[in-house]
Amino acid sequence: MVERAPFPARPDSVRPADLLGPYDGKVVDADSERPIAGALVAASWAFERGIGVIGPLAAEELVTQTGPDGRYSIPRLGRLPTGLSTRVRRFTVIIYRHGYVGWRSDRRFPGRQVRRDFSQQGNLVRLERWQAGYAHALHLLFLGGSARVREVAAWEAQQAGLDLEAESTERAGQAGGAVAGVLGGGVGGVGMSGRLPVALLDITPLLTDDEIRGVTGYVGTFDDGKLADLPTTEFYDSRHFKAKDRPENYDVGLRVWRLGPAAAEVQYQKLQRDLPRSSSTDEIGDASFRARAGQIEGLVFLVRERGVVVSLTCGTNQCTDPAQVLTIGKLVESRLSDLAAPSVPTPTPLSDPLDETLPDRLKDAE
Amino acid sequence: MKTQQPRRGPRRGGGRGHVAAPARVVALGLLLALALDWRFESRAQAYDPATTHAGLTQQAAAASLLHQVLALRLGRPLGLFEPVSLHAERLTPSERRLLLARLGALDPAGGYRPGDDGVAPALAFVVAGSVIAKMPPESVQHLFFDPSTGSGLKDSAGADGFFHSLRLIADAGGSVRQLATGTGFALEGEPSLKWLDSSDNDLGLPVFHQQLERALSHPDPAERSSALARALLALGGVLTVLEDAGNPAQVRNDFRGSYLQGRTGSPFDRWSRFERGVADFYGMGGIPAPREIVRRPTLRAFFTDPDGQGLADRTQRRFFSDGTVPADGIIDTETTGADVVREARQSLTYGLPIFSHLDLRESGVRRYVTVVEGKEPPRKILAYERVPGRIRFFLDGRVYADSARVLLPEIAGYAAGLIDHLLRGEVKLAREGDSVRATLVDPVGSIRGGTLRLLSEDASGRRSEIAAFPADRGAPESVSVVVPAGSRRIAAVLRGWDAAGPVVAGGELVLPPPPRR
Repeated sequence: MVERAPFPARPDSVRPADLLGPYDGKVVDADSERPIAGALVAASWAFERGIGVIGPLAAEELVTQTGPDGRYSIPRLGRLPTGLSTRVRRFTVIIYRHGYVGWRSDRRFPGRQVRRDFSQQGNLVRLERWQAGYAHALHLLFLGGSARVREVAAWEAQQAGLDLEAESTERAGQAGGAVAGVLGGGVGGVGMSGRLPVALLDITPLLTDDEIRGVTGYVGTFDDGKLADLPTTEFYDSRHFKAKDRPENYDVGLRVWRLGPAAAEVQYQKLQRDLPRSSSTDEIGDASFRARAGQIEGLVFLVRERGVVVSLTCGTNQCTDPAQVLTIGKLVESRLSDLAAPSVPTPTPLSDPLDETLPDRLKDAE
Repeated sequence: MKTQQPRRGPRRGGGRGHVAAPARVVALGLLLALALDWRFESRAQAYDPATTHAGLTQQAAAASLLHQVLALRLGRPLGLFEPVSLHAERLTPSERRLLLARLGALDPAGGYRPGDDGVAPALAFVVAGSVIAKMPPESVQHLFFDPSTGSGLKDSAGADGFFHSLRLIADAGGSVRQLATGTGFALEGEPSLKWLDSSDNDLGLPVFHQQLERALSHPDPAERSSALARALLALGGVLTVLEDAGNPAQVRNDFRGSYLQGRTGSPFDRWSRFERGVADFYGMGGIPAPREIVRRPTLRAFFTDPDGQGLADRTQRRFFSDGTVPADGIIDTETTGADVVREARQSLTYGLPIFSHLDLRESGVRRYVTVVEGKEPPRKILAYERVPGRIRFFLDGRVYADSARVLLPEIAGYAAGLIDHLLRGEVKLAREGDSVRATLVDPVGSIRGGTLRLLSEDASGRRSEIAAFPADRGAPESVSVVVPAGSRRIAAVLRGWDAAGPVVAGGELVLPPPPRR
C-alpha cells in the first residue's frame, strides 16, 4: 500500500504527489535567489506495517548533492518491502548547507510550522542564511536526519550543547538545584523557542594592530576585519589583521571560542586532531599546541577555567621567530578577562502547533 | 419512558474467555477471519511510535535534566548531542538480533537512527528506544494498564482475539504454534507496570539500571560506550510505556473498541483516524513541549497513586476511548434528557468522566459534552447525536483534537519528570589534594544495598577499581580515597535502593593533566 502524499505533485497543482517519486527541485539562496551548489540532499522513505496498531518496518534513504545550478534529482523508489499490511508511509527531504538554516519538507524552522510549499517535482527550496540569534539546539532537534546529515551539521553540536546547558542551568536554578527539585512541585516554563536573545561574542579588546607591530617590528599597516570561514556567534568570534599590500604570510588571524569548560575541552581536542602538523607544546594556558601550514604558523591554547579556546595564526614573514607568536598569544591570554560576560538565554515556550488550522483529517474524522 | 440498551456491534463487555486454537482449525479459521472482516469498522486510538512517541520523548528529554546529567555527571561534554557508540560486536547474539534489526528499520528523517557504525547522539538513542519499544507493533499488548484494577490488556472477548491472531499470522508470519500456545497476540498482555520490570523486555527498567552501572564501571571504554547506548535505549523504552498511560484506550482496557474497528478496504489496512490525525498533524517536530515537569515520589506514582495524580489515573477518569463511550440509548416521545443521561452513565464501563446534561431537542444535530479544567479552554470529551429512535454516542475528530491538545503536553511533562526521577542518584566527586572525595546525593534519602565503587581511568581510557564500600547497611555519605598516579579521570557508581526504589547513583571527575614541563 502506498499512502496518499500530503503534498502536491507540482507547485502549481493540487494533484497529490506519488510518494514513490521521482522527485526534483532547485535550491537557491533566499536573499539573492542564486543557486546553491553542493548542498546535501537527504531523501528517505519510511515503511510501516501492522493491523490496528502500526509501527516502523523499514526505511530507504538516498543522499545526494545539488549540482552547480542548484538542482537535485531523486529517482523513483524501486524496491518495496513485502507484507500484507505493509505501506509506504512517509517521504521526507532534508537539505543542509553550512551557513544556512536547514530545510525539511515537512516543517519549518524556527517556528516548527507545517511546511506547505513542498512539491514532488519542480520544488523550489529557498535556503535562509543562519542568523546569530538562532539556537543550535533547537535547530539540530528540528533538522533530524541520518548519519550523513549529522556529519555535515556536526559543527553545531558544541553550540547546541551550550544552548541546552544554559537552559538546564536556568531551570535547575528555578527548581533549587539539579536534583533537589526532583520531589518538589511542578516547574513551569520549559521548552525553548528557536531564537534566543543573545549578545554576540566580541574579541576586539584582545589584540590591536599596534601590539602586533610592537612584537614583530612590522612597519606596515593592517586592514582589520573578520575571518570569513565561520560567522560570529555568541560562542565564537574572529579577527583578521590583513597586512596592507602584502601577501598572506604577513597576516595575523585570531579565533576565539568561548564554550564553557567541557565543550572547550572538546573543541581544543578537535583542533589538535584536525590542524596540520600539530604538536603539543603546553607553553601557554592550561594546554597548548603548535601547528603549521605552509607559511602560516599556528598556536592554539585552552584556558579551562574560562572555557575558552584561542587559535592564533601568524604568517612567517610577520612572525619571523616562533617566540613572537607566543608573545602575542600571552597578550591575548592576559586580556581574556576583558571579554564581556556571556548572556544567559531566557527560555520561552514553544509555539503551540494547534494555533495552526486543524487538519481536515483530524477535525473531520469521526 | 424507558431507555433500552440496543444491540450493538463489537463493544467491550461480554465474555472474556481466551479462545482455544487447535491447529487443525487454523486454515479454516484464517479463511473465516478474512471472510468475517465486516465485523470491524474504522476506529482506533494509539500513539504512532515513529512520530508521536518520538516527539514526546524528544521534548521530554530536552526539558529534563538529562543533558546536565550527561554533560556534568557522566563526563559527556556535549550532553544530549554527545556522540555515543553502540558497538555491535560487543553485544550478545541475542541483543544483536533484538536490537540491530529494529534500529536499522527506523526512519532516518527522524534523526534517531544510529549510523551504520552504531554512532548517534545520546538523545537519538533515547528517542530510538521509545520507538523500537513498539516494534513489532504487536508489542503494544504489554503497554496497557488499567489503574482501577492494576491489570493489563484483557479484551479477548468472543472470537476477536483468535481472529486477530490469525490475521497477524497471515500478515507477519507468526507461527501457528504461537497461536496454539497462546503466545501470539490474542488481545491479552501483561500490565505495563509489570512489563517495565519483565526480564523479557529488553528496554525495561532492569536493563536501564544494569547498563547505566556498566556505563560507569566497565574497564573497557568501548564497552562503557555501548552500555551507555543501551541504557539510553532502555530509558526511551521506559518512557514509551509511561507515555502510553496517557492514551485513553490503553488505560481503559480497550483494544477491540479502539484498535479492531478499522477498515478501509483491505482487511490488513487498519489504522486509526485519531492516531493518523495526531501523527500527520503534529508529526514528530510539532509535538508541544511540556507545560510543566511533573514530580512524583515513585516510579509507580507516575502511573498510578492513591492521590489520583498518576498519568494513567488522570487519563482514565478524564477521557473516553472509542470502545468505552456510553451505550446508545433508545428513546421515545416520553424520554427526557435526564433519563438518557442516567441510562448512559449506568452503561459506562468506567464511572468517569461523568456528564449531567444532554441536549436532545433537535434530531440530526451533532452535539458535544464539554468540560472545563482550570483556565484551559472548554474541551470536548464526547460527541452525541439524536437519530430516529435513539441517541448515539461517539468520539469524532473534534474530540480527538481537543484530547490531543490537552494530553500531549501533559504526557511530555510526566515523561520529563520520570527521566529526572530515574536519574536522581548522584555521586559528587571533588578533588582534595592527592585524594578525591565522593559524596552521595539522593533526594529521597539514603541508598542501601550494592557497593559504592570508585574507579580510576588511565590515559588509555581503561578503568580499574580503586576502592569499594559495601552499602548493605546504608551507603556512607562521604568517602575519600587517594588518587593513583597517572589517573585521568575518577568515576564512582552505586547501584542500590532508596525510598523510591532501585537507583543508580554515579559521577565522574576529569582530572587535570600532569603538570607542564
